[in-house]
Amino acid sequence: MADHDHDHDHDRTVKPMVDEVTDFEVLEIALRELCIEKGIFTAEEHRRFTEFAEQIGPTPAARLVARSWLDPDFKALAVADPMAASKEVGVDWLEPTGFGTPSDFTAFEILVDTPTVHHVIVCALCSCYPRPILGNSPEWYRTPNYRRRLVRYPRQVLSEFGLYLDEDVEIRVQDSNQKHRFMVMPMRPENTDDWTEDQLTEIVTRDCLIGVALPRAGVTTNVVVATRPALHPVGE
Amino acid sequence: MAAEGGGSSVPDTDVAVLREIVTQNQVWPRMAAKYGVDNPVPPWKTSLDGLCDALDHCASDADVPDFRARRDEEDALSATLYSGLPYPESQLVSLAHSLVRRGVITEPELIQRLSAVRARLEG
Repeated sequence: MADHDHDHDHDRTVKPMVDEVTDFEVLEIALRELCIEKGIFTAEEHRRFTEFAEQIGPTPAARLVARSWLDPDFKALAVADPMAASKEVGVDWLEPTGFGTPSDFTAFEILVDTPTVHHVIVCALCSCYPRPILGNSPEWYRTPNYRRRLVRYPRQVLSEFGLYLDEDVEIRVQDSNQKHRFMVMPMRPENTDDWTEDQLTEIVTRDCLIGVALPRAGVTTNVVVATRPALHPVGE
Repeated sequence: MAAEGGGSSVPDTDVAVLREIVTQNQVWPRMAAKYGVDNPVPPWKTSLDGLCDALDHCASDADVPDFRARRDEEDALSATLYSGLPYPESQLVSLAHSLVRRGVITEPELIQRLSAVRARLEG
């Protein structure tokens, strides 16, 4: 940046940014441009998928759950026709990007928890995830550690997220795939009587919708856990 | 096109230009700390997401990996050749490796493009 002479303090008025071009930034652009030039996809297709990736988040799914807790008819719709219920919270599974689904899924299902059954989702094969309604998957969801171990040791893996379920609660691990996506509808927690839909939406975090946490009054952020040890420590 | 039964279908032999990038180690946690930035992921992350989605949905005659193969190769390479990289750098470099080793992009043209892009960004 050129030297300039004025009386404001950039340190206080401008958020810091990485002020150098990194090899990774250059690599992403180079790959993308070469693919576009080879006709593999268009710049417009890439832009729209990127826009989709930036806009999606878990809020629509949280609202779907909150509304289901308050409205038995809506809950019945969510179970019987989850695509229609998704539309009512602003997610059109068939056109989430405005030009077609970003996956070739053919079905979406909402797994309803009960006092004796707890659901948790995984994609053992790769990292399929209900992105249109839950946003991008967290890094740990993509790791072989979670994908392989959850299926075999669900109670142990959930405990690593701080979720300890009674032995009499059955854990059902639902494996996703490219054509079939799932989300969990947890039970409404206690101490939320008379709460509004907006209040309830705030406590249905992404992790609750995956099934590695339970909603609780006053908890509005996902737990931070060391589900993957430092396999790839970054050296200084 | 799809990897059969999981595992990587591309050779995990070294790609020199990618090794050089790994060696430079401009990974986001280091860069963010250096400049006091608190964004958890690098700014190119969503563009990489868009790139992967666009690849997964392309109908190309080139040997572009499908979703399953791309993820299998990423898993295999991130656990071996690029195990020193954090995510999403490991995802990006693994994807580049897959595209080079599959012949979708040649190493010389990648080297040339990297140079051109850097010159443009620094110009």
